[in-house]
Amino acid sequence: MELVMLLKQRQQFAFSYLYDNYSAALHTIILNIVSDHELASDVLQEVFVKIWKQIESYDDSKGRLFTWMLNISRNASIDMVRSKAFQNSQQNRELTESVYDSGGSTRVDTDQIGLRKIVHQLKDEYKVLIELSYFQGYTQDEISKMLGIPLGTVKTRLRSALIQLRKFVK
Amino acid sequence: MDIKAYIESGVVESYVLGLASSQEIAEMDRLRGQYPEIQQAIDSFETSLEKAAFTNTVAPSPGIKEKIMNSIKNDSSQGAAIIPMVSSPARKMGWMQYAVAASVILLVSSAGLNIYFYRQFSAANEKYVALLNDKTSLEANLNIYRTKTLDMYSSMQMMSDPSVIKVSMPGVKGMENNFATVFWDSKTKDVYLLPNKLPQAKDDQQYQLWALVDGKPVDAGMIGDCNGLCRLKNIQVAQGFAITLEKKGGGPIPHGQMYVLGKVATS
Repeated sequence: MELVMLLKQRQQFAFSYLYDNYSAALHTIILNIVSDHELASDVLQEVFVKIWKQIESYDDSKGRLFTWMLNISRNASIDMVRSKAFQNSQQNRELTESVYDSGGSTRVDTDQIGLRKIVHQLKDEYKVLIELSYFQGYTQDEISKMLGIPLGTVKTRLRSALIQLRKFVK
Repeated sequence: MDIKAYIESGVVESYVLGLASSQEIAEMDRLRGQYPEIQQAIDSFETSLEKAAFTNTVAPSPGIKEKIMNSIKNDSSQGAAIIPMVSSPARKMGWMQYAVAASVILLVSSAGLNIYFYRQFSAANEKYVALLNDKTSLEANLNIYRTKTLDMYSSMQMMSDPSVIKVSMPGVKGMENNFATVFWDSKTKDVYLLPNKLPQAKDDQQYQLWALVDGKPVDAGMIGDCNGLCRLKNIQVAQGFAITLEKKGGGPIPHGQMYVLGKVATS
């Protein structure tokens, strides 16, 4: 893939092209997880800088460039959500919203965009598993404890959820 | 290996989405090179995932591209071979702080969880031990009742045996309130006593049963602390039975007060 080759040669115009074509999709997955616009912008910047720095380590025999970037975005977003800064900003926002919010928030409904919109078409027992594992980054073990269902059930149900999901993304 | 079932199991999707365990990833890395069908399934899910991720998107704010392009500019001038450093020290510190803060939060919450789970565990363990004790004492009680029931059953069997003679012994003069019964097996000559109503003997005293043989009392055994029926000494011949209160251990001839007396009915 020529784009990857150019990126590995550190051609800025290739990176600019990459941004123009992929930033909306990556921004959307970040928003799906982070939901706060400002923090999502921070994560997006971090993700693109990471892509630029780590493009050497991308191996196109292991998968598509987009899949690689999607996983970087997802991981960075989950890291952000679990950070102290995010927890603080959530508290601040709740505070400011309770003071100033008079209807009409600028926040997007993150259930209605990108992959999460597709996941929300699944039935509830599948939706919750993909929500917790993919969008919130919990391990199957943690999910089993959170929901009080056996680990084996979590495993098989998550697999079924993914099979359903595949039918929806086709 | 059933490749089709493997592909259909959802493992491809969890691999592509980054949800697979390290074991599953290692397996998939091995199998995808070996089976073109698996490679094809991965490609096809990646493609449809990409297509899906491009629908209903929200574009980032316009200023962000410039910021990103600026932050990579310094790197590119250093040439391709050099692994670029993190863009600004301030930013790096920021992430360090996040990381430290996050690990502190994790540590504290994990310690908290440990305490919580330990308490839960201790409480559950205490309850478990208490239940175990209850169970043991219930079992012991059950065994006592089971033994008593078996004793009663065998007593009933014995009493209803036609060869057993029942000798009622009412209280003698002055002891009219007392009453006891002897069951005497005419075949085996076994003697059983049911102390229906006798006052509690003092610690140094004991009731003794006598068989009356030709007008003479013959020791038929001491009445101990028995449940229900007491089995006493075998008696070959007797015309009657009596009970006296003796010193503990009794003796060959009666010394104490007689309480009850009954004659064997001659048929």
